Amino acid sequence: MLNYKFLSALSFGLCVVSLLMAQNADISPARKQAIDSLALEKVRDLSKYISIIGNKKTPFSEATRVMDRAEELFAPDSEMGVSSLNRKEINYYKVRKYFERLMALNYDKVTISWYDIHYISDLERQPDGRYVGVVTIYQRFEGTSDDGLKYKDTTKKDITIYVEKKKTQIQGRTIEFWDVMLGDIRVSETSA
Amino acid sequence: MKSAFVFIILILLSFSLQAQLVDEMDDESKLYAENKQVNQFFRRFNGEEDEKGERYYPKDKQYRSEKLRKKYIGILFDASNAGITPELKVEFSKDVLDKEKPVILNFHGGNWFSEVHTFFLMNGKEVPVTLFMELEKHRQGTRWVISKVYADIFRPSFERDTVKVGKFLHPLSHELDFMNLRKAFNNPDSVSQYTLKKFVPDHLSVFLYEVKKGNLKFKTVREVKFHFFQIDGWYFELSQFNRPGYNTGWLISNLVKIKNESEKNLLRKYVYYETK
Repeated sequence: MLNYKFLSALSFGLCVVSLLMAQNADISPARKQAIDSLALEKVRDLSKYISIIGNKKTPFSEATRVMDRAEELFAPDSEMGVSSLNRKEINYYKVRKYFERLMALNYDKVTISWYDIHYISDLERQPDGRYVGVVTIYQRFEGTSDDGLKYKDTTKKDITIYVEKKKTQIQGRTIEFWDVMLGDIRVSETSA
Repeated sequence: MKSAFVFIILILLSFSLQAQLVDEMDDESKLYAENKQVNQFFRRFNGEEDEKGERYYPKDKQYRSEKLRKKYIGILFDASNAGITPELKVEFSKDVLDKEKPVILNFHGGNWFSEVHTFFLMNGKEVPVTLFMELEKHRQGTRWVISKVYADIFRPSFERDTVKVGKFLHPLSHELDFMNLRKAFNNPDSVSQYTLKKFVPDHLSVFLYEVKKGNLKFKTVREVKFHFFQIDGWYFELSQFNRPGYNTGWLISNLVKIKNESEKNLLRKYVYYETK
């Protein structure tokens, strides 16, 4: 399974590389599409991990393992900035803390689902040469306690993605590929 | 028997709840309609994406087409703002969609900036500070930088009564090596009376000083909006609307037709709180 995953990631990487050989400062539409796919793949992984961490049926050890995996998607120092409809000010949490708070929510049943819609911004180059973009997704949260009390909300998640060209050695050959890391996430409750 | 009845009710309830959730989840049309990012506002304004948010490129037929832009421009305004009259919108749209000289917003084109309302802590007390941010080219890319600051807490330090004669250093003070400065600085409240009449206080410098001294500590961002002076003859403000319905996200919240350069400068001063 792991081998299959590795090979598919590698072949995807090589496909991307073929699109990217003539790299210059601008990102071509084809290259942008390849990067968008990679970014969406990471965002979907994160969505999946959030659903597992939030699920009350997930055993503690499993949730901890998933939190570790989720954390690996992020660049160091990434934070979640959270606001609600009643409180516009942003509260800041380190990614790990955010996951831990999600896991510890005081509901007996939690359902986290995701809208199909996503929006991917253009990529902009930052002073250090890396590219940055934002992917927007929407999450539906429903928490129920045993006494029947129910809380639900929809949150918009604006996720920073950092796109960087990296190099690796495979059988003595240097292969360049584009890597995507997640960064800060702005979480805002919406009226949708 | 009773427990079977309760069970059936519970099942029915759960189905109805599920159906409700699916209905809510299925209706994504409002989310599609929303201008989800400022980036999307740019793309829709310029006619650079389809209704699902997929980007168009110069090779695409629809890219920046007048037809597409016409379709989008109507949904870029805050519909609840009666101050933006239909006539003004029509005039603006006509200018922007001009066949000969269509107006395209340029992310890197300058003449647009952000107004960021924040809270800082000063001596443990929350104080509002407004940061004006703009994009600046730096090395291999661009970055947002602070161009100006406005904070009510700094205002009293610069206030002075220009109507009264007030306090002054007499015109022969120089003959006494300005020894009367001692009296001038005796009362810190009146120090600003000894400055040049046209002196304009710079809140950004004071802000940096206070932050570096550790007197101001960042707490949070409360609101963000944008001001656009990029289109000749027009100014508009872009704000985020988080509310039910289809007219949501980043929308034009203010639109002003500018007649000349002096009007433009006055408006800029107003936006920067420099007319206060």
